Amino acid sequence: MNKSLKRLVIDTATPYLYIALYEDNVLVDSIYQKGNNDHSVTLMDNIAKMFDKASWKIQDLAAVIVGIGPGSYTGVRIGVVVAKMFAWSHNIPVFKISTPALLASGADNGVIFAYVDARRNQAFGGVFEKTDETLVRLKADTYADLTTMLDSWTYDHPVNAVMPDLNVVLNSELLEAVDNVHDLSPVYLRKTEAERNQEQNK
Amino acid sequence: MIVLAVESSCDETSVSINKDGKVILSNIVLSQIDTHASFGGVVPEIASREHVKGISVVFEQALNQAGITAQDVDLVAVTKGPGLIGSLLVGINAAKAFAFAHNIPIVGVHHIAGHIYANQIESEMKFPLIALVVSGGHTELILMKEHYDFEKLGETQDDAVGEAYDKVARVLGLGYPGGPIIDKLAAEGEATYPMPHIKTEQLYDFSYSGLKSHVINMINRLRMKKEPINEKNLATSFQHAAVRHLIEKSRQAVDDYQAKMLIVAGGVAANKHLRSEVETHFKDVEVSVPPFKYCTDNAAMMGIAGYYYYQRFKKIDAMDMNGYSRLNLSE
Repeated sequence: MNKSLKRLVIDTATPYLYIALYEDNVLVDSIYQKGNNDHSVTLMDNIAKMFDKASWKIQDLAAVIVGIGPGSYTGVRIGVVVAKMFAWSHNIPVFKISTPALLASGADNGVIFAYVDARRNQAFGGVFEKTDETLVRLKADTYADLTTMLDSWTYDHPVNAVMPDLNVVLNSELLEAVDNVHDLSPVYLRKTEAERNQEQNK
Repeated sequence: MIVLAVESSCDETSVSINKDGKVILSNIVLSQIDTHASFGGVVPEIASREHVKGISVVFEQALNQAGITAQDVDLVAVTKGPGLIGSLLVGINAAKAFAFAHNIPIVGVHHIAGHIYANQIESEMKFPLIALVVSGGHTELILMKEHYDFEKLGETQDDAVGEAYDKVARVLGLGYPGGPIIDKLAAEGEATYPMPHIKTEQLYDFSYSGLKSHVINMINRLRMKKEPINEKNLATSFQHAAVRHLIEKSRQAVDDYQAKMLIVAGGVAANKHLRSEVETHFKDVEVSVPPFKYCTDNAAMMGIAGYYYYQRFKKIDAMDMNGYSRLNLSE
């Protein structure tokens, strides 16, 4: 009887497509590659190929883990929707984590400033302390001027493109179970431009 | 064959299940219209966010209402375009994930094919037919010689008819969406304001920017002179001119191609004046206008179109299927 724990990890909130298959905390297969605004094309295509290669089925999964941003609005939705539909389709537990936290999990040990580029020299960034075992948050994810954050925040390493490490994430309290799969949605951190304009004009 | 269809091209999140391209077992439509109303139109980023929130609930309700499970589904159909790209991508990726998770083939379907196939739900298509497609984004005449065979005869050279309704309603301060509001007002008025007769270079093309500008300029002129505007009469005058243009072009196409049937498709097919004018002017051919509930965006029509696409081409899409904000009906 195979009682291994199969876990799928997805993040599409950054320019990189990240997919990882872990079995009993061992990395079975992974992709971490820069996309071309095409996560919509590549995410399901690669998941299908990787599951085929590993002879995995969605219903075998013990958990789906997804990065929920903040990051690219269109990008993050792709991963979140796919995770949401997998979890709902076969009643699989789903876990969410901040995308900057996921990035920090793959960095060298120390105090990490992890960020996702936004347009116009802005970024979504947070600060974390990472050890071999775990990851804790020192500063909440924020939308701000990237140069300001890089220059004035305190940290050992900045990261914005690194393959996450699930074993660090699994030990971290930053990984949260989603009780009701229907509630799973990205964290955008910002209201839409239309909503901001409307509030200003009130 | 059981088809599950997904539609998310604009501001309705919808999943529907049909049997053999005919019997609608369920059609769940989660409309965002109230969310967008205060902005005077659909805000694309808000629409995308709302689709993510609602998508799995809508899937669940559609399966429950149809009384089936995912294992019973033989084909997944999803709108691949045209539409708001961020919105489309939510439905497409949800559909791909569902199809993969249950090992079901998937097909991407053109949104306008869906609107046309809304007419196959309660009537039977007879070929050749002319389809008049009218909505907030489209004004087109399509010739169909058989199932899932579309030849575009003409289209609007500028504004879509629904867009003209929205803009006139906005200038009059009547709210959004403009179509139903103007239609209702027009029913109580008389066509007292002079309107231009619309002309286009090509026989089957449409044009609405001239009529729209004429009405807006008239409103501004009357307001400047502080003269009263009879909104009901203005609505009637505009609506009669807008619909007359549709009827004339459709009549021409039906005659030229000796069509056996005229079908009306798209959100503006819900317009009461258009429905009655079509009845009046096409007594010699069969006319089909979808039931009101299938005029606006819904997945039921996408599922019927998906069924006929699959029957005709026996072709399925792969997991790298993408969405397209612009897309030809023949693609």
